[in-house]
Amino acid sequence: MKKIYILASIIGLTVVSSCKDDFIDLVPEDQVSAVTFYQTEAQFNQAVTTAYVPLRDLLVNDYFTAEMRSDNTHYQPYPSNRGTAYLYRESIADFTDNPTNSYTNAVYFHCYNGIAKANIVIQRIASSDLSESVKNNIDGQAKFLRAFNYFKLVRYFGGVPLFLKEVTTAEDAFLPRSTTEEVYTQIIADAQDAINKLAAPAKFPQTGQATKGAATMLLAEVYMTQKKYAEAEALLTTLPAMGYGLLPNYADVFSTANKNSKESIFEVQYLEGLQGGQQSNFIYLFLPRTSNTNLITGVATNNSGTGGWNTPTQDLINAYEPNDKRKDASIGIAEGTYNASDLLVISANKSIVNYTPAAGKIGVPYIKKYLHPHTNPNNTNDNWPIYRYADALLLLAEAQNEQGKSGLALTNLNQVRDRAFGAGVAPVTTTDQAALRDIIAHERRVELAFENHRWHDLVRTGKAVEVMNAYGTKLKQQNPSLSPDSYNVTADRLLYPIPQSERELNPALTQNQGYF
Amino acid sequence: MKKLLNPFFTLKFFVLSALMIFYSFTTFSQGAANVSGKVTDEKGEPLPGVTIIIKGTGQGAQTDISGNYAVPATAGATLVFSFVGFEEKEILVGNESLINVALAPSSKYLDEVVVSYGRQREREVTGSIAQITASELQDMPVNQFAQQLQGKVAGVQIAQSTGQPGRGMEFRIRGAASLFASNQPLFVIDGIPITGSINNINPAEIETFTVLKDASASALYGSRAANGVILITTKHAKPGDSKIEFNSYYGIQKLPENKVPEMMTAQGFAQFMKERWEDRVKYEGLKTPLEAEYQNPEQYGEGTNWFKHLTQTAPIQSYDLTIQSARERSSSTVIAGYQSQEGVLINTGTQLFSLRLNQDLTLSNNKLKVGFGLAPSYRKDHNNRLATDGVGGLFERIFEASPLFAPVNPDGTYPKFVSSPGMVQYINPYAQFKLSQDDYKTTRILGNTYLNYEFLEGLSLNTNLALDKGAETRTQFTPSLLTSNNVATGLSSSVDNYSWTAEANLTYNKTFLNDHNIEALAGYSAQRYESVSNSVTGTGFPSDDVPYVNAATVISAGAGGTTQYSLLSMLGRLNYNFKGKYLLSGAVRRDGSSRFGANRKYGTFPSVSAGWVVSDESFMQGYDFLDLLKVRASYGVTGNNNFGNFEAISTLGEFNYVLNGQLVPGSTINSLGNSELAWERNKQFDIGFDLAVLNNRLSFTYDYYHRISDGLIQNRPIPRASGFSTILYNIGVFEFWGHELGLNSSILTGKLKWNSNFNMSFDRNLIKSLVDPGFIRRNNTVTSDYYRNQEGHHLGEFYGFIFEGLYKDEEDLTKSAKYGSASDVGTIKVRDINGDGKIDDVNDRTFIGDPTPDFNFGFSNDFRFKNFDLSITMAGSVGGKILNAAKWAYRTNLDGSRVMVAAAADRWRSPENPGSGIYPRTKTGTTAMGRQVNSQWLEDGSYLTAKNISLGYTFGLKDNLLLKSLRVYGSVQQAFVLTRYSGMNPEINFSGLDPTQGIGLDENSYPVPRTFAIGISTTFK
Repeated sequence: MKKIYILASIIGLTVVSSCKDDFIDLVPEDQVSAVTFYQTEAQFNQAVTTAYVPLRDLLVNDYFTAEMRSDNTHYQPYPSNRGTAYLYRESIADFTDNPTNSYTNAVYFHCYNGIAKANIVIQRIASSDLSESVKNNIDGQAKFLRAFNYFKLVRYFGGVPLFLKEVTTAEDAFLPRSTTEEVYTQIIADAQDAINKLAAPAKFPQTGQATKGAATMLLAEVYMTQKKYAEAEALLTTLPAMGYGLLPNYADVFSTANKNSKESIFEVQYLEGLQGGQQSNFIYLFLPRTSNTNLITGVATNNSGTGGWNTPTQDLINAYEPNDKRKDASIGIAEGTYNASDLLVISANKSIVNYTPAAGKIGVPYIKKYLHPHTNPNNTNDNWPIYRYADALLLLAEAQNEQGKSGLALTNLNQVRDRAFGAGVAPVTTTDQAALRDIIAHERRVELAFENHRWHDLVRTGKAVEVMNAYGTKLKQQNPSLSPDSYNVTADRLLYPIPQSERELNPALTQNQGYF
Repeated sequence: MKKLLNPFFTLKFFVLSALMIFYSFTTFSQGAANVSGKVTDEKGEPLPGVTIIIKGTGQGAQTDISGNYAVPATAGATLVFSFVGFEEKEILVGNESLINVALAPSSKYLDEVVVSYGRQREREVTGSIAQITASELQDMPVNQFAQQLQGKVAGVQIAQSTGQPGRGMEFRIRGAASLFASNQPLFVIDGIPITGSINNINPAEIETFTVLKDASASALYGSRAANGVILITTKHAKPGDSKIEFNSYYGIQKLPENKVPEMMTAQGFAQFMKERWEDRVKYEGLKTPLEAEYQNPEQYGEGTNWFKHLTQTAPIQSYDLTIQSARERSSSTVIAGYQSQEGVLINTGTQLFSLRLNQDLTLSNNKLKVGFGLAPSYRKDHNNRLATDGVGGLFERIFEASPLFAPVNPDGTYPKFVSSPGMVQYINPYAQFKLSQDDYKTTRILGNTYLNYEFLEGLSLNTNLALDKGAETRTQFTPSLLTSNNVATGLSSSVDNYSWTAEANLTYNKTFLNDHNIEALAGYSAQRYESVSNSVTGTGFPSDDVPYVNAATVISAGAGGTTQYSLLSMLGRLNYNFKGKYLLSGAVRRDGSSRFGANRKYGTFPSVSAGWVVSDESFMQGYDFLDLLKVRASYGVTGNNNFGNFEAISTLGEFNYVLNGQLVPGSTINSLGNSELAWERNKQFDIGFDLAVLNNRLSFTYDYYHRISDGLIQNRPIPRASGFSTILYNIGVFEFWGHELGLNSSILTGKLKWNSNFNMSFDRNLIKSLVDPGFIRRNNTVTSDYYRNQEGHHLGEFYGFIFEGLYKDEEDLTKSAKYGSASDVGTIKVRDINGDGKIDDVNDRTFIGDPTPDFNFGFSNDFRFKNFDLSITMAGSVGGKILNAAKWAYRTNLDGSRVMVAAAADRWRSPENPGSGIYPRTKTGTTAMGRQVNSQWLEDGSYLTAKNISLGYTFGLKDNLLLKSLRVYGSVQQAFVLTRYSGMNPEINFSGLDPTQGIGLDENSYPVPRTFAIGISTTFK
């Protein structure tokens, strides 16, 4: 009898053994498995949507490297806080940054984050059995985003590693640098593919997704950077047919009521509200540090830990011609006094037009473009413009002028100026190619101020070293606390360093010239 | 088939086994009584419930409550007296009718120790284990058993890395370091591997601890044994143990004040700010006037001492009632406990309510043993999980608040910010502690039931089913005053988890040909863990009056999820010995785990060990003083699966975006899976000996171990250009080795008794190889890149610049390498390691110190004289370095943005007034180097701590009606700490809260309080 039970127990044990594989094959039950995802149209739409999100991370670093690095903006000094995070950001403006700078590094990382998310979509949709039109739309968006990020990277860092496939193992992550030409070749291929696959906006306001127009604009700017003016011109002239045009009033372009308007070619989307974490907060980063923002933003908070960046320079303010409506629309004045903690005690919100400080006060300029009414502090509804039609017109004017088509160039240039000054008030008439080149560059500076174009334009047009050294010399005279090493701008400084941490992990990555 | 594997399956198993046992019951019958008597223990105390059987008849009887019995036996019959825990005794009946018997305690029971999956005679153990009896630890006024074990076992380091009541105990056995997974050993309570936290366990419930150190001892726990195993046996009443005990202590805890950093007073800080301004005027041409607050430093005295406001002398108390009763066939133990501990930081504390029921039943002629244990507990933490420790933690903020501010306004409100001009604005830490409401409640039920049946002589089936059920809720409210954007937030969250373990094994014991003893074990084990959690965060509270999410007008975030893991194992062991002196043991466990890569789910963990009791050899007979000399050696492989549940597979993450002005969901892969993630294999060799001399008055144990951790699992950093920053990876090979010594002695055995225990361990490690690029560091920013794990180096060696004083004068500055424009006369000079004449963040940093101590030791002494007893436990560590980041990264910030240590007043101001040479000048733009790790930050972390000193007195209670014994004692925990370390807690040196954060880093964990307590232990009749 007993032996039977022993036998039974042993059989019992064997039974347990036989279903062991099921028992330890577990997958997370609170999410869709990565193995079975990427099948349906809805899933691919979700996947490509994620590739837009890193643009937001990019933006909160991009203004340091694209705008504050230039002569358009500077920072509010913070002598009482010399923490590394402050030094890093200041050093970008001052040209004393090095490869351990976490803010220039962040630009690199966030671009690649977007690329990785696009790569997953591009690779997986190719083998999916979705309809051609669905595939085209999703693949086109991913290609646009990949090209956009590589274009940022190649301009900031030169030839970077070219990740074009989904990374699935550690080994996949170690790539050497490609050449600048190879990167550009890929950008052009992707952008061209996106143009072919994407449709023009079906409606205005647009959805916020990448369109044929966005890809066209991207590729045009790539061609402009490569000085392929004819190709750029050809692309840019296709835009009006897609429905784009200028809004009548410059300030309205940035209004939260006019998101994704017909002037918008591509913008990064945000949504105000306490739920979901989709809000923007640019104005709080750009205001001078203060313990009370209420007079400017209408909502009280303390931005002493986040603000003080991207302050419009006097150099830029001076660049606005008299009666340019864009000055008042772009820049405001926070008036007050700095307290001993280097925080601005704001006493008034003033217009920059004909501004003179009240007695005993100073006026600190701030970027007004991104200031619109909102309910909660650090929670705004403002989108960030990447490409807009005015940019396209000015690029087109530049491309035409470079090809000697100054007449056509003037027409496009003056469309932008008519809006800024009133129709026919201050048209440019010169047809001298060199003079017109400078005028268009100046027009881009004021029209596109604080939209992260200035540094790229200076580098693209070969003006960066000259302009920034001249600007730096002036700045150092005004501000003796700037270190002697600052604003020694050489050609090496036109590229940022490859992040030190990446080089330590992957010794195959070489450093850009001039950095340790 | 999957469904078969739920607890029901095992339940059926039990029912089946129980049924078959009924068939084999033997029954008693009572006949005419002609032999009677009394059965006592060796001390003469009556033993109730002893079985008396007339051999060969099946007839018998049991003793009554006074130990009396009567049986119908006639002359020539043999009476067999048996009682669990006592040696069986046979008596041949002659003509007498009165037979009194004294039973001797079973020697088998006495010298057995708890080992994995069973017990073993201590003499026959071939692995490296240490058993500690909890009663020796009873006087410590601590509410975590880990605190009691500090300094008790060679090679077991236990540190309290935070003063948060009831939290933060860290174990390291033999220097084990997992970097990514937890360093904690596996805890097994009454055979149940514990999932998660151990801090709900009332120390009063514990009978013994067994620490399994080498691979042969722990290999039966296979994939979970890499960091060692601690077996905990709870109290089960033993025959003769029937009693009621009441133990209690009340104590007060206080932070030792000699280690509180001396910060600038209000006057000192104002003076500093004034001088800083003077220097800026002098050196930088500053034009702005000095702030009014700092113009007359003399007007201030000490100002606010934030530390005093935020800390308190806090009570700790504990009450335990133990009721034990043991009959011959059944025993029961009930332990009820209540503990309460307030934190030394104000408005924090914890309470624990616990109960344990252990029931054991022996039936069917000792062949069947069944039992169950049930231990519910409930812990309430109040503000005990606020972010006090670490960088930016509230403890750091205590030292950063301005002494010029009062913590409370005259009108009773709290100032929001307490920063003087020029300082970084931080929220009033006093208000944070006063107003925060964070209540964390943990319910835990440990339950197990076992059934062991001996089918045939020597062959038993042992089954064990265990449940570990937990539920945690958190209600948190942060009023608007405590948030930077004035928006109050509330959180409500809960976690519900359970884990079941079902085990069955067959054991076979047999002695054949007199001298060959074998014990075989074959078993099966399945475990499954599941957890469901959710949380809701709300904002938009109309006021601070209702602190529940109910009152929130906006639900700003919500989450809910579940996670699981499972483990399926087979195990076997064969012990063989010849005459008890040649010992051999082999064991193997095969584990399948859901946590590993699809291609690497199964791992096999074998071990072998051998021992030789040299002292039993005939050629040793001449050495009478020698009681035991045993040589043993072992080799085995263990693993580590103590990391997240789905780390090996790629998971999807949500990345939402806005399209058409509306939130749209986005989802894609957010972590890089590793289908090749393989078991970490720890191959450990151990050789040692045990020596006992002079009638066991002196015993000595020595072990040498050598361990290779192959395929150590860690998050491997990969280039972020891949879109990912890390992948869980088998990163490399680490080597650990060391020596352990333990010495136990009864120095005096007369009227004054003195027992002494000393242990010491020398633990070493080396990183043999690592994946490219050959090092793994903490993070990428220079300011907190404190250490590197690098091939050819020791674990967690500190990394930074080498401090070379301050630049003395212009000449020194000109001659020396400079850190760009940040270098000036009077600023910090560091070594130009690559000799390029410049200092930069990449090429001029190097290894600057090693956190691994040369040795650790523990020293306990127990004295007894008449009714007095005194015990002193000490623990210490020598030679490890500590990186005092808490001090240098923040408390010496010369920009005036934080309050500084008082010593920073003596800084460089001019070549004529260079100060102490430690603290540099305050010139704008030159202070950055001071916040980057340099060798100045390193300190010797050696310490000697008097963990516990207690003095007790036992009253003689011969005539008391109620009490059997009464002992009172006074005790001091953490009586003193001798150390040159200037921070508050040198025990940080081998432990951090998070192993990925490195070892020996002091980043503001708050110190262990000193506790004075008085207590009583009583046993009722």
